[in-house]
Amino acid sequence: MNAVAIIARKEAGDLLRSPRGLSWLLAMAAALSAFSLLLISDAELSLLDNAEAVYGMCAVIMGLGALLAIVMGVDTVAGEKERGSLVPLLVAPVSRDRILFGKLAGIAMVWAAMYLLALPYLWAAGGAGQNLAEGLVSLALMGTPVVLGFGFLAMGMGARLSSTRSALMVCLVILLLAASPVILGPSLRQTAVGRIFDWINPLSVALNALDAVIIDSQAVVSQWLHWNLTLLFSGITLWFARDGFYRTAL
Amino acid sequence: MLIEMQAIQVNQGNASILRDVNLSLDKGSIYGLIGPNGAGKTTTIAAALGLMPVSSGLVRVLGKDPWTQSRFVHARTGALPEQSGFYEWMSAEEYLAFFGNLYERPLTRGEIAHCLSQVALTPRPGQRISTFSRGMRQRLGLARALIPEPELIILDEPTNGLDPRGRRELHDILQELAADGIGVLLCTHLLDDVERLCDRIGVLVSGRTVVEGGLTDLLSANGLSQRFLIRLSAEAPPDEPHPHEASILTGNGGWRIVDIAAKAKPEEVWRKFYALGWPLVEIKRENTGLEALYLALTEGGTA
Repeated sequence: MNAVAIIARKEAGDLLRSPRGLSWLLAMAAALSAFSLLLISDAELSLLDNAEAVYGMCAVIMGLGALLAIVMGVDTVAGEKERGSLVPLLVAPVSRDRILFGKLAGIAMVWAAMYLLALPYLWAAGGAGQNLAEGLVSLALMGTPVVLGFGFLAMGMGARLSSTRSALMVCLVILLLAASPVILGPSLRQTAVGRIFDWINPLSVALNALDAVIIDSQAVVSQWLHWNLTLLFSGITLWFARDGFYRTAL
Repeated sequence: MLIEMQAIQVNQGNASILRDVNLSLDKGSIYGLIGPNGAGKTTTIAAALGLMPVSSGLVRVLGKDPWTQSRFVHARTGALPEQSGFYEWMSAEEYLAFFGNLYERPLTRGEIAHCLSQVALTPRPGQRISTFSRGMRQRLGLARALIPEPELIILDEPTNGLDPRGRRELHDILQELAADGIGVLLCTHLLDDVERLCDRIGVLVSGRTVVEGGLTDLLSANGLSQRFLIRLSAEAPPDEPHPHEASILTGNGGWRIVDIAAKAKPEEVWRKFYALGWPLVEIKRENTGLEALYLALTEGGTA
């Protein structure tokens, strides 16, 4: 078996077999349950139409996916370094690129697990309307580079900073900053600064694309510019992760 | 030569971590790398394993530059870092199978059982590593290091935290490996480990090798000897004749202090004592002189 696949399988085991990984999945399931209940009850009271419920659920899934990718991304380099399990990997006859790509594949599996876990909740929140398929497709297209990008950012940060805690804190602050325009609402986003921030912030870019596809019923292909911007984000963070990983010694 | 380091320097930013490190390790030899905390032992190991480049000097491991040809070196070298972490959710069998695959040596169940028996590790079937004791973890780490059937093993503080039996068993394993022609680089704080195992030592102080060579040669060259305490069942023979390799320093109660030349073999010296009529009933080793040498070197004596 290829070294990338061997390491990726181990990373999947870290999520699906370790108490730490299973606890995170359980926490994600609990958060999704809470959000979907909220959205369903809002929709039933006609406070929210079906498209908005699907959009809201997709946004929550992407946010939680990014959070989980950050936690796992920090752990896969900084956590392993602290626990002393990284060096045995580094002294195996496998190139660093293969180790790195195995770990990146692990982050992709985290997102895949999160996506699969979220499907029944998404169905529960928006299964009654016409927007579910668009939601699923645009979440896969826009969410994947954004979530992976945050995972790569966390890996790179974990490789550079000396402690898991510091790397996790920095990444969570970045995620919070990226999510802040969404939290503060549309008025801030209409200002010049807000508009610029909207274009350079990968989370905003992805959410705007989701909004356009799910709520405004635009074609998915019309969002190619947004999609390219999210790809650019994941490309930059991939470089950041690779550069950091190559600096990792004992 | 398995490891050859000549005048290596490692700089990180403006700081000089290693300034002048020299080390040479042959097949079947156990080399003890000792020195105070922060002397650069772990960095030396990192350089030998190709985990960091050297700023200047020559490093050859198995005849190759470990930084530029790390895959060649890693495929033939076993390593047990000081803080060797494991995937706690795996069993020992799964762990070894994982590394077997990474080393492109997929292990059968029988081979995994052989690896475990080689290091005297007998976990329950399916027992998770999270439930392993410190000694079991060290053994598992050593089993992992042996997967590539290495020509060279590099160990950083392998006996830390082991009980006396665990230490003795690890010593036996390392001696067997050396007898099979594997070179062992042992980095440790425990001079007792070095005395028991190593035929060559290197002492690092502030990133410099202050002394390197055969243990007995170094002790002899520094005028140091092996010190023992002996106890007699009766009076010593008249005029207290003794072998020329030994000198009797003082008597204290029933005990006498005996210094034996560093190059002499104590067993042979004790036979001579018996032949001369000494009624020896108990012999205790005080030290081999390594401690005195180490203290002198690291407290600014020779260094």
